[in-house]
Amino acid sequence: MSVGPVERDEATAEFFDGTAAGQFPLRRCPEGHFSEPAAAACVTCGRTELAFVPAAGGATLVSWAVSYGRPAGDEPPPRTVLAIGELDEGPWWWAQLDAAEPGDGPADADGLRVGQRLRVEFRRADGEYEAVPVFVLA
Amino acid sequence: MIAGLGMTELGRVYGQTPARFAADAVRLAVADAGLRLTDVDGLLTSSGMSGGISIDLQRDLGLTDLRLLSHLQAYGSTAGAMVQFASMAVQSGMASVIACVFADSPLRPERGAGAAYGTRRAPAGWWGLLGASGIVGANPMYALAARRHMERYSTTSEQLGHIAVAQRAWAAVNPAAQLRDPITLADHQASRWIVEPFHLLDCCLVSNGGIAVVVTSAERATALAQPPVHVLGWAQRHPGHYLRRDPDFGLVTGAASAGPAALAMAGVSLADVDVAELYDCYTFTVLVSLEDYGFCAKGEGGPFVASGVLGPGGKLAVNTGGGQLSAYYMWGMTPLSEAVIQARGQGGDRQAGAHDIVLVSGNGGVLDHHSTLVLGSAATA
Repeated sequence: MSVGPVERDEATAEFFDGTAAGQFPLRRCPEGHFSEPAAAACVTCGRTELAFVPAAGGATLVSWAVSYGRPAGDEPPPRTVLAIGELDEGPWWWAQLDAAEPGDGPADADGLRVGQRLRVEFRRADGEYEAVPVFVLA
Repeated sequence: MIAGLGMTELGRVYGQTPARFAADAVRLAVADAGLRLTDVDGLLTSSGMSGGISIDLQRDLGLTDLRLLSHLQAYGSTAGAMVQFASMAVQSGMASVIACVFADSPLRPERGAGAAYGTRRAPAGWWGLLGASGIVGANPMYALAARRHMERYSTTSEQLGHIAVAQRAWAAVNPAAQLRDPITLADHQASRWIVEPFHLLDCCLVSNGGIAVVVTSAERATALAQPPVHVLGWAQRHPGHYLRRDPDFGLVTGAASAGPAALAMAGVSLADVDVAELYDCYTFTVLVSLEDYGFCAKGEGGPFVASGVLGPGGKLAVNTGGGQLSAYYMWGMTPLSEAVIQARGQGGDRQAGAHDIVLVSGNGGVLDHHSTLVLGSAATA
């Protein structure tokens, strides 16, 4: 399974403007601290004047898990590899760990290790939905 | 102190609303204490993810002139939090007989337990984005937490399996348990993946039902129907890093700081704890809680649980009713109810020999909200 459908709301509009342009917007305060995209105040200093700034797109693997759908008949259950990545700017992000080629399904979870290099890419569900960040192995 | 415990039928019990389960549980707890509903002057309510319970429970029960009434929500740490607030209300003289209740009925006859939670995918906003990323419900988040622990400390799935096997052995001697057939480590390993590293047998049950306790003053309780269970110490901890960078994620929980605080308040040390009833939404939650409380060193939870300390006849009495994994899933009321039973000495075939000091944990969110209670069969430790 690839990413699911998601629509924007008021809080996520700027974020999805970024993902539509192939960028991962982080929040940065006037002191230069980065916070996660949903932050309402800087996680380091508490300042509320936050700008959206695109992340460089590199990350390292913090943890991962493999989600299994319900088996249907003789087919193996559908798998999704999930990961926490630490973006190079500092914040963590929760996303699928996908194959490098869109449509090739999840990354191979065997042999993953903490600290492995990741890259942020974007996938869309079929239809008029927003671009969703995924990780791929760098 | 806790003077009454009321438990409705728990598990695959259909046709009742959460509010009805809650009202029944309060009536049972009040009767268990040897009190009447008219004695109740305080009511604290709580509900699961399916909701359906509010302070309207006062009206359902026909309670009048209450001196304390509130609805609490701290997820899996709520049961402990309710007992803490009730104890403080009794200490301050604000109210004297306070019923604390949780009930839930997420199970439906026509669908499996897996459909009970997490199926309402939000289509928009930050939550919608998390869902679109494949992270729906608690299973993936706890699996990510467990994997981090496994990578850092070489914890294995087999070690987690020892917790599941030990708790099923306890459940086998608990008439109220939903799952009482013994399991082996091989059964655990062969059970299907839910979210790797969690097999099915790493995950808690889903249950319908309600549980209530009655908190009152020590003076009053000594004249009541049940052996008194004193609330000797308590603490909460809410780290506040949910979906944020968190160096402790999967490695250290609020129990590491709340545990020592609650034990200090009770005037006891960890070595004095006879029975531990630990929140066990997953086997992993038990393992990390054992480490955080200090039953073993940080990172050594895996070898510790695999050494045979758990289960009937083990040197540590942990989750003696089978817990949420095998008995019933009533959020924090699962460990709390078993703790009350053990502290009273009413555990029957599963009663721990020594039960003077009982430690109870609550855990909510993804290891985000924690409560600890220290209960005692005597007023002072």
